[in-house]
Amino acid sequence: MLELMGLLLIFMIIAAIVAIETRDLLAAVISVTAVGFGSVIAFFYMRAPDVAIVPIVVEVLILVILIRATLRVGLKTFVGNRDFFGMMVTIAMLLVIFLAGIRVFNDLPAFGEPVMAKMMDAPSRIYLANGLNDTGAANIVTAVLLDYRAYDTLGEATVLFTSIIGAIAIIRKKARKKPSEPEVEEWTV
Amino acid sequence: MHYALCLALFLVGLYGVMVKRNLIKIVISLVILESAVNMFIIMIGYRKDGIAPIMSKMMDPEVFASRSVDPIPQALVLTAIVIGLGVTAMTVALAMRLYEKYGTYDIKEIRNLKG
Amino acid sequence: MQIIPLFVAIPLGAAFFIPMVGRKNPRLSDTLANITTLALFLMALSVIGKATQVYWMGGWVPRLGIPVGINLVLDGVSIFMLVTITLISFLVTIYSIHYMDKFTSKARFYSLFLLMVAGMNGVALTGDLFNLYVFLEITSIASYALVAFGGQHEELEASFKYVVLGCVASTLVLLGIAITYAMTGSLNMAQVSTIIGGNFKPIHLFTMALFISGFGLKAALVPFHAWLPDAHPSAPAPISAMLSGVVIKTIGIYALVRVMLNVFGMTPLTSYILLVLGTISMVVGVLLCMGQDDIKRFLAYSSISQIGYIVLGFGLGTRLGIAAALFHLINHAVFKSLLFLNSGAVEYATGTRDFSKLGGLKDKMPVTTTTAVIGSMSIAGVPPLSGFWSKLFIIVACVQAERYGFAAWAAGVSVLTLAAYLRMLKRTFYGQPGEAQPAAREVPMSMKLSMVALAALCVVMGMLWMPHAQRTFLIPAARVLQEGLTYASSVLGM
Repeated sequence: MLELMGLLLIFMIIAAIVAIETRDLLAAVISVTAVGFGSVIAFFYMRAPDVAIVPIVVEVLILVILIRATLRVGLKTFVGNRDFFGMMVTIAMLLVIFLAGIRVFNDLPAFGEPVMAKMMDAPSRIYLANGLNDTGAANIVTAVLLDYRAYDTLGEATVLFTSIIGAIAIIRKKARKKPSEPEVEEWTV
Repeated sequence: MHYALCLALFLVGLYGVMVKRNLIKIVISLVILESAVNMFIIMIGYRKDGIAPIMSKMMDPEVFASRSVDPIPQALVLTAIVIGLGVTAMTVALAMRLYEKYGTYDIKEIRNLKG
Repeated sequence: MQIIPLFVAIPLGAAFFIPMVGRKNPRLSDTLANITTLALFLMALSVIGKATQVYWMGGWVPRLGIPVGINLVLDGVSIFMLVTITLISFLVTIYSIHYMDKFTSKARFYSLFLLMVAGMNGVALTGDLFNLYVFLEITSIASYALVAFGGQHEELEASFKYVVLGCVASTLVLLGIAITYAMTGSLNMAQVSTIIGGNFKPIHLFTMALFISGFGLKAALVPFHAWLPDAHPSAPAPISAMLSGVVIKTIGIYALVRVMLNVFGMTPLTSYILLVLGTISMVVGVLLCMGQDDIKRFLAYSSISQIGYIVLGFGLGTRLGIAAALFHLINHAVFKSLLFLNSGAVEYATGTRDFSKLGGLKDKMPVTTTTAVIGSMSIAGVPPLSGFWSKLFIIVACVQAERYGFAAWAAGVSVLTLAAYLRMLKRTFYGQPGEAQPAAREVPMSMKLSMVALAALCVVMGMLWMPHAQRTFLIPAARVLQEGLTYASSVLGM
């Protein structure tokens, strides 16, 4: 089981590297979706069925959006990164973060032993013990999402609203006008 | 070990953001970054041989509480995924508008502003 | 009736409502947006001096001292931030009435604007780490879209850069929050701080590093500043004023300081990191700003430098240092918004922001010139304007904390700032008339009104240091931050 998680993660890392390094944009888009679906499987394994369902939808949406962006007549493919020196600095920096990360992650509770098992006053314990009585939801994740922490969910809906209004504002065909001019709404895409 | 792999995935995404020239590749790297963090959050809540945090009639509440995985991270990830989708949609809209203006996704050719 | 949740609910409701009713009628959206921001400002004024209040969303009060729900905390610092945010947003909405006539879809502009305000109010109020992240994202996404609002090449490009770095910053913050959760099992800031309580392990340092780089990116501290000189000038002027005036301070500095001082507790190491980051930003910002030829880019670099002063003050960790930093924060919000609004007025009247085409505007635009002179002198620290007092107190606090080197840097940068601003004034308003001068006219009423109001504030703001104002406004805010970990007991009531 734990080994399987490790393999899945390695698969996701490989898919991510392919997505970033491949020349073909369409292949890159498909590989990044493979990363997403890798995490779907991992979520199922880690007993998070609610969370596993959402990325299926989200990944498909991202796939559609990204493919729409790559379908361009005469899209030039080009390879190459920013300058070589900068790349070396970046890699060195990331390596430092990685080594520091491995060192300090020893302080984290081991994988498979969540912190709520040891921490007597973790809110999760209250949710698990009283969730059904408090909210009437048998699914504790739903209880947390829609009742105990409903304010986050309101924020999440607001984020979606903001990004939709924002995207509509961005794809306006004509953004500037003379002060006296009446406006016409037209969108590109 | 597992956390280190997750960190590696995160850094792959960060590498893509910092090094790539293609706007779509940068968006892809951002998506990878988000998946890595979401993965990490779910891993925090996992309990070995645990059960999903869904009560059933047959189950004794105390056994349930001692065996279930942590529900908070799952709720957080559900929120974070949707937020990530919103940001991605907007970034792609921007990238497509940029393509329209410049006829390319190459960041080196899109350089009116200096650092 | 509880007032605390209304700070988020009112702008949120207005943001949903305005695009529905205001699409066909721009004047209606102007009215609604101005009423909303005015109401918020009055609400913020009404809570000044109140004792700490905690509001548990959805009525989920703590059980046996364990927080189950999300809480909003209205304490000294939150009140301080709310007043700053709502004051600037109110004056900026007045300015937008005429300025935004040059753009299409005004209703969506106001909607995004109010979402940004709602997000910032949420950041200032929330007592929960993940909720902080959610509000951070609302603010950021709204500001990404607003930077691109003009729809031209540079604007889209600047916005893309901003989105990418902003996204990286948000993920770093989220990773930091996840590690914090993994260590403590809680997301409530008060509870987390009782569990960590100043007892530092290497992993907490790693988490701090994530928070510093994440919030540092949002605040554009110097190694992380690359996006700011593009994003702030590209936005429409009211948004530049908001971004430089309050957004970087709320989602960058306030969030960082709150997490650092109230949740993790200040250690000598983190204090030193803040001092060094602040000084570097201060010096690099002012040096880069001296070579700029675009008035808005000039102001943007100068923001980096002034942010440095604020971080320096917080880094001292003393009561005086924190109070001076907060004082400079609100002063900078006022004069930097004023200067960006001035630059917007110049662009509105002449169509250019380039120093080489400007010059000699003082006879054509007297109001803009006078207010710009007041703002510039204030930011440069000329007595008796507000900027002088806050810089003075930051330097005094440095000396009092026996950080003489940092005090010297702060004083030196202040002189450079004065030189840079004199050059800017000369090339824009005085000096030889440039090619854009003949067509220039003074800007419409609403724009003048908000510039004059901000200039007046620059003059009177020094009064905040008077004993009475200090006791009711500045000191309660500074005390919350300085007493660090006692935050937990005041929130959880233990």
